[in-house]
Amino acid sequence: MSTSVDYKMSWPARILGLLFLALVGAGVGYLIGGRLNLDALSWDDALALIIAALLLATGVVMAAIVALRPASVPSGCGVLQAVVMLLAGVLMLAPMWGPNLADPETVFVGLVVLSVVQSVANLLLWRRADEMLRRVMVETSALAFWASQMALFLYAAAERLGLTGGVSAWGMLAVLMTIYLLASTVASMRRGLH
Amino acid sequence: MNNRLKVLRAERDWSQAHLAELLGVSRQTVNALETGRYDPSLPLAFKIARVFDQPIESIFSED
Repeated sequence: MSTSVDYKMSWPARILGLLFLALVGAGVGYLIGGRLNLDALSWDDALALIIAALLLATGVVMAAIVALRPASVPSGCGVLQAVVMLLAGVLMLAPMWGPNLADPETVFVGLVVLSVVQSVANLLLWRRADEMLRRVMVETSALAFWASQMALFLYAAAERLGLTGGVSAWGMLAVLMTIYLLASTVASMRRGLH
Repeated sequence: MNNRLKVLRAERDWSQAHLAELLGVSRQTVNALETGRYDPSLPLAFKIARVFDQPIESIFSED
């Protein structure tokens, strides 16, 4: 029943995994680039696109890790984490890419439905997570709140002083998600989750 | 906080995954405990003590 062998992925499996991810990345890049006029992107769309790509890539990597893991290693919350990441990536991408596929009203209804599904997935993740993962989530939220609050204060003060122009809600969301991802990275790395 | 988790696990020839299963946590959590990146809650510390059949104070110590 017990074993001292800790799982480590073999080099051929790692190389195959990297090739697979490179193919997925190229495919996603081609699809996104082909549907969006990258030269005409505003800074907020460009930032949202980068965040969406990061979320999708992280979700694919997590899904690949779970899929390649031997049956003897418990999968933990890997599947749910991958689902949450992928859905978040789609949610970020849909307002920019969706109008190529359907009218804005239909895209918005789809976004509402996806938001509910993603919230349920997040709730399930919280319920199934062990205490360290919950701690990482709490620390991420606290760090992101503190940093977002500071960023919003500085921006609001600059706007009040007439030093800067308006930023769209979409731009603010892109900045918020950037801060959240950075906070998540910091909180995860502190616990060795990288 | 310091702990002897890695030593105790090695003595029993258990993998991190096996210990994680016994404790009901992820392998990453066991790794974080062993490397001192995470201090367990009191309920988890009691569970660890039960799994290794040792008092908490013989597993965990202050810095």
